[in-house]
Amino acid sequence: MRFAHLSDIHLGFQKQEALQKIEQEVFEKTLDECILRKVDFILIPGDLFHNNIPEMRVQKFAFAKFRQVHDAEIPVYVVYGSHDSSPVANSVIDLLAETGYITKVTRVKESENGKIALDFIQDKTGVKIAGFSGLKAGKDREYYEKLDRDSLESEPGFKIFLFHGGISEVKIEQSQEGEYMPLSFLPKGFSYYAGGHMHRFLHYKYADYLHVVYPGTLFSGYHSDLEENAKGQRRGFVLVEFDDKVTSVEFVEIKNADYEIIEIDAENRKADSVNKELADKVKGIDSAGKIVIIKVEGELTSGKTADVDLSAIREYLSQSGALAVNINKNKLTSREYKITEAKGKDKDEIETNVFKENIGQLRFEQKELIGDPGVLLAKKLLKELGQPSLENEKKMEYLQRIKQGAFGILELKIDDS
Amino acid sequence: MEEISIIGQVVGGKFGDIIVRQKAGTILEIGDLLVSEEDSSFLILQVFALQYGSQIQERMQQMMSGVNLEQGVIDAQFYEPEFVNYVLARIKPLARVSKSDGQVKIPKSMPSFFNKLRLISNKDLEFLKKGGDQIFVGHIRSGTKVIKEAEVWLPAEDVFSHHILIPATTGRGKSNLVKTILWHVLDSNKVGALVLDAHDEYYGRRGPGLKDHSNAKNNLVYYTPSSPPAGANRLSINLQSIRPEHFEGIVEFSDPQFQALRTYHRRAGDTWVTEVMRVDPDTVAMNGDNPNRGEFAAVTLSVIQRKLRLILGLERDEEGNLISRHEVFDSTTRGLTTVDDIVNNIEQGKVVILDTSRLGDEAELIVGNIIASRLLYRYKEYKSTGELARKPVATVVIEEAPRVIGEEVLTRKNDNIYSTIAKEGRKFKVGLTAITQLSSVIPKTILANMNTKIILGNEMKQEREAIIASASQDLSEDDKNIASLDKGEAIVTSIFVPFAMPIKIPLFEEMIKEHQGSPKATKTKVF
Repeated sequence: MRFAHLSDIHLGFQKQEALQKIEQEVFEKTLDECILRKVDFILIPGDLFHNNIPEMRVQKFAFAKFRQVHDAEIPVYVVYGSHDSSPVANSVIDLLAETGYITKVTRVKESENGKIALDFIQDKTGVKIAGFSGLKAGKDREYYEKLDRDSLESEPGFKIFLFHGGISEVKIEQSQEGEYMPLSFLPKGFSYYAGGHMHRFLHYKYADYLHVVYPGTLFSGYHSDLEENAKGQRRGFVLVEFDDKVTSVEFVEIKNADYEIIEIDAENRKADSVNKELADKVKGIDSAGKIVIIKVEGELTSGKTADVDLSAIREYLSQSGALAVNINKNKLTSREYKITEAKGKDKDEIETNVFKENIGQLRFEQKELIGDPGVLLAKKLLKELGQPSLENEKKMEYLQRIKQGAFGILELKIDDS
Repeated sequence: MEEISIIGQVVGGKFGDIIVRQKAGTILEIGDLLVSEEDSSFLILQVFALQYGSQIQERMQQMMSGVNLEQGVIDAQFYEPEFVNYVLARIKPLARVSKSDGQVKIPKSMPSFFNKLRLISNKDLEFLKKGGDQIFVGHIRSGTKVIKEAEVWLPAEDVFSHHILIPATTGRGKSNLVKTILWHVLDSNKVGALVLDAHDEYYGRRGPGLKDHSNAKNNLVYYTPSSPPAGANRLSINLQSIRPEHFEGIVEFSDPQFQALRTYHRRAGDTWVTEVMRVDPDTVAMNGDNPNRGEFAAVTLSVIQRKLRLILGLERDEEGNLISRHEVFDSTTRGLTTVDDIVNNIEQGKVVILDTSRLGDEAELIVGNIIASRLLYRYKEYKSTGELARKPVATVVIEEAPRVIGEEVLTRKNDNIYSTIAKEGRKFKVGLTAITQLSSVIPKTILANMNTKIILGNEMKQEREAIIASASQDLSEDDKNIASLDKGEAIVTSIFVPFAMPIKIPLFEEMIKEHQGSPKATKTKVF
């Protein structure tokens, strides 16, 4: 017997058309592979979608594919991830579950005396499956603190636990609070722990936790995933063979795209020199049909970060037939225009203090743009620009509304633009 | 003063050694706290010695005893014995307390001659009121009598950054004291602590412990290498976290051996331990094609490998990966962020307990060294960026402290992080809480830097002398007092208390019972 384990597909994450296509293709290819390999069931422990209600395009192809899997009589067992769950609204996961294409695993048997007792779902193969969803900011930690472990651990048979969250013991870099939990929170003695949330394939073995496995993302759920892909990170899903115990855990690679990556160290350099290196390197690659990742980091000795002309590079690459261009200059700073960080007791105070710390760097003739009036204006503008779109508001309408508001704050006529 | 409360009267002596006649029918004990009422203040005095006094000549007393013992039919009694025979107590002034504002000063005068004294009461100790961020160490004790209402709280930031020494022999309540202190540290996020728990006794895996604190979920972090209980972390430290200097002052390496360690570290970076363990010493030393040929003697590399293998418990698994027998050190990708995670927790004012019971002495100290080094480094950085004021004070709790700050260790080997913290940690809000049976082997310079000592019973004269010589208050007359301290009894001497305070540390298990309420069962909505 065998089952497939995939996670962190993040359908709906991509914004560029070419990347959306790849996102859809690898998803469909993966499920086709599952059907082809005649798996007994599929596990998806979270972040199947990038948000709880993705756009209709995404829902359409996802439903179509899951119907095929359903027609092939392959059950799909799912928990919510931190992206596709919502404690206040429904999720497309619920729709898929209602249609019977997927089965939500979390079944709370009873929740008395503050304890949470979970029930198992039994697959036709006899495998018993239980699990918890992952919530944002580690809010699912409470589930594990209150979990009645004894009832889960004493259950005989081949058992699988689905979870969505990082394990602190195997963390490889610092992270936000709540993103990781100790392995000991998971109930012991399961045959397989199907994990989601970590975007790389990981397989760990401990005495009480024989197989703790993360398949990683299928394509990309964060911008940094594309960079890792470009550096050779393999993407795919996990195929598990088992009888009364796991006999093999195999990573099945699903190819997604060809990549080129250009990394520029801008430390102690001027924008002109960076632009030159960038132009030289771009000319030296064959970008046709590939995803091109450009990463510029470091502190420029003078000028603004905007002096590093990436729009021209993007234009050039697009004309050279690049499938998509992904530019990362998050870690590019300038000594001349370095944003000084500031502290505060809350978001509002931090924003005010950051503006106060940095506004002195600006040289304008208009007095309303500098000093305290400038800070006030910047805060108003930030608030206006940070507004979310309204329900059912079209993108163009949203942009127009925000633009009007921002121009109003700056006391400019929209025609002035 | 009511006659009924009078326990004695000043009859002579000199400053620091005042003689009091005990009132008949009352019993004075070593360590009793007495009060002498003065006009605008009162003096707190303490009994440090007891002896008999009598109006009858010694020869006469001996003769009377002979009559009693040898002529059994007669039971000879003294006439009005309460007048002629009595107990004399030698007492010393501890503090003068102003009646108007409760201000406490070091006394510079004696009680009025013939003044009547009474036992101290909780009202006399109102100046001990808790305020600000403080830690609880126990209740004031007068002899064996505990004044429950008089709690002794110490200013947390000052006390921890100026180091704490807990000297005591086995069975005098060291663990109970440490648990009591940490219990109150858990109340807030004002103190971060790294606890190297060599006996795995603080968390409470098999009984009551710090895990039972109502704040444990938020403020207590427990790392153990074996089967962590739910919510606890597996203690796994990646070999990449180790640097050659972490062995300094802990493991004895010769100069050539240390040089080899540093060379491997320089060349291989974070993976140097794995590299050192992987090489074949003979090949590196003899192979003509190897660019490093002859750089190190084969025996040097062999010794290094043997020492690392023994100290870190390293072995190779079937895939050739280095693993450690006690599962703490890892050469793959486990435990890469453990050190930073622990330091982050301490920075947030949490208590981090490391169960090091499965580690050898040296491995335990190296684990502590890696973390404490990172902690001190970060706090130094915060000082330079002006952020230190916002950080909680941090303390490193270490048992058998002479292993790292003993005279012999520091003479034979280089300084280590623990001695560095003892010497300069105060400037960076990082302190040591050192527990020891042998204070006498800790150099005087370090002992003098430990500005709070919580002295438990100690029957070894040499140890008592070392403690007394380095105490923050004059304990020169307290030798017998310290020797007679029973389990749970202690004397707190500190630059942050007005006088050496005799205390009784509550039994941890009983304290837990007092603090524990029935937890509210809240229902959780599961998505």
